[in-house]
Amino acid sequence: MPLRIGVIGTGFAGSTHARAAVRLPGAELRAIAAATIAEAEPLATELGVRVAPDVPSLCASEDVDLVVVASPTYLHAEHVIAAARAGKQVFCEKPIARTLDDARAMVRACEDAGVRLAIGHVVRFFPEYRRAKELLDAGTLGQAAVATLTRGTLSVGATRAWYLDAAKSGGVVLDLMLHDLDVLRWWFGEPARVYGKRVADRGGLEYALASVRYDDRPIVQLEASWAEHAGFRTTFELRGDRGMLVHDSRAVAPFVVQSPSGAAGAAVIPAPTLRETPYRRQLRDLVERLARGEPPLVDGREGLRSLGLGLAVIESADRNDVVPWTVPA
Amino acid sequence: MRRLRVGLASWAHVHAAGLARTLASLPQVEFTGSFDETGAAHDGPSHASLDALLGASEAIVIASTNAAHRRDTEAAARAGVHVLCEKPLATTIADALAMIDACRAAGVQLGVALPVRSSPAVIALKEAIDRGTLGRIRAVRGTNPGQYPGRWFGDPIEAGGGAAMDHTVHLADALRWLLDDEFVRVHAELGSFLYGLPVEDCGLLTLDLSGGAFASIDCGWSRPATFPTWGGVTMHVVGERGTVDIDVFRQSLTHYDDAAGVTRLIGWGDDLNALMVGGFVDAILAGRPVPISGEDGLRSLEVVVAAYRSAELGRPVSISEVA
Repeated sequence: MPLRIGVIGTGFAGSTHARAAVRLPGAELRAIAAATIAEAEPLATELGVRVAPDVPSLCASEDVDLVVVASPTYLHAEHVIAAARAGKQVFCEKPIARTLDDARAMVRACEDAGVRLAIGHVVRFFPEYRRAKELLDAGTLGQAAVATLTRGTLSVGATRAWYLDAAKSGGVVLDLMLHDLDVLRWWFGEPARVYGKRVADRGGLEYALASVRYDDRPIVQLEASWAEHAGFRTTFELRGDRGMLVHDSRAVAPFVVQSPSGAAGAAVIPAPTLRETPYRRQLRDLVERLARGEPPLVDGREGLRSLGLGLAVIESADRNDVVPWTVPA
Repeated sequence: MRRLRVGLASWAHVHAAGLARTLASLPQVEFTGSFDETGAAHDGPSHASLDALLGASEAIVIASTNAAHRRDTEAAARAGVHVLCEKPLATTIADALAMIDACRAAGVQLGVALPVRSSPAVIALKEAIDRGTLGRIRAVRGTNPGQYPGRWFGDPIEAGGGAAMDHTVHLADALRWLLDDEFVRVHAELGSFLYGLPVEDCGLLTLDLSGGAFASIDCGWSRPATFPTWGGVTMHVVGERGTVDIDVFRQSLTHYDDAAGVTRLIGWGDDLNALMVGGFVDAILAGRPVPISGEDGLRSLEVVVAAYRSAELGRPVSISEVA
């Protein structure tokens, strides 16, 4: 029997996951819920599934096995815990939560209910980051010495105001830098300390740098920006003692369109032109693991640790001091 | 047109050959030749001693090891000869202060060889900032990574440090000038990971300026031997009304050279050394202050000294703790 999926949220993440779930082998998209029925209707109509009138009724649906939580960050805990208590498997968009306390409650609720909790650290499914991981693990680059990872986009706040409220979203550090902090933990393991800097003008400019140090090596710099006005861009440079890898998302588009009216849709995050998007790979991987009875690639505890590292960067920036990294329990 | 008689003191620095070519080619310079303490012969007149070179010159460009800058500058000051000193100005703040004092007392000018301010891209950025086009500048991510220069650059005595001593000052100086501000706090992570050196070959500095902006400088010798060029200088500048990317040496041809079995970038942008030395010479000829002074060199050296202290203590260090 296919895994039946319900999605909460119809923003960028919710609509991306819902579209990825359509025609996914071994899965079926069944229902979509949002803050209001009106917000859920266009996507549900497009994908030919029913609207759940609210989150509790989606969680209570007999015909849903996996709940995808893609609501605003500050609502993740409420929605994940509701789904877990209804006995559903749960996929939650990153960051797992706005606070470690919320994240712990979510992990506990899923463990108590005996359901899986997966966190959407989708960069682990981007092939350029996976290839880098393979080359690192194979020793091709030698021992990693320095790395720089950047991630920028134009401000998302105008369309989704909750992003601009740091108390609800965590700002650019938890929105963008969290991806690369998770990549670091995946590539190199747990760092020793962080030193962060940020511009966090309420409703305005958001930009952050972090200097992340491992015991001995590597030294890593991260940049996260909501001031990349030309549109979404990721880069990384990874220098080991046997060579260096360089990636720039602006330099790898195999398909470029120009139109007389000018470039369109700069606010949309472009996926690489691939047969299967990283978002769909992520969901397919989870569906396959659940079918085999295996834990997700990035589980709730893993998401909690990456959140903790993001919060350490924010704490460092706010205190103007180095913050030692201890893995949160 | 009056030409200034300028010589080259020492060939120790990797920039020496380029500086000699520049001096020989500038129309406002009469190249008086060079002094090489190793006795090696070079194009242009060779002098048997530094004093002989100083006797023939109104100004010298010092390209000795970092630790020898003070000795050579003090000799020039005694001879009444102006100085354009390779960067960093010195390896210690005490040496830098002594050089500034010696030149002031002798009535000669002391300049520092920092070519980044001469880049047309950087000048365009300066003009945009000064016009207010970008709004207030809040953050700059700067990189100045290069290949390992070899020679004495990994010698803690002659160089006074490693990659942080070698590369930090270019962007530190450019940022002070661009933002018209001073650094107040420095954090650094340093490591010797690539070449088995007794000094750091990788480094990342995070800096606060007094006006509230912050910046970072990647100063590492992290470019592999197979990298198609020596390194580069970039800045990602975040203003309240705009974001700017600067890549000082971006103007280049890519040369796939089958005969040599390598790929190289061949720069075709303006010759920044010629612009930098020319600016120094023009100021001396006109009796104006040189564009980048000994005090400027001291300010960027303070950032380096604070970076070493920060890496040692594992915490950010205020400039006032080292100055």
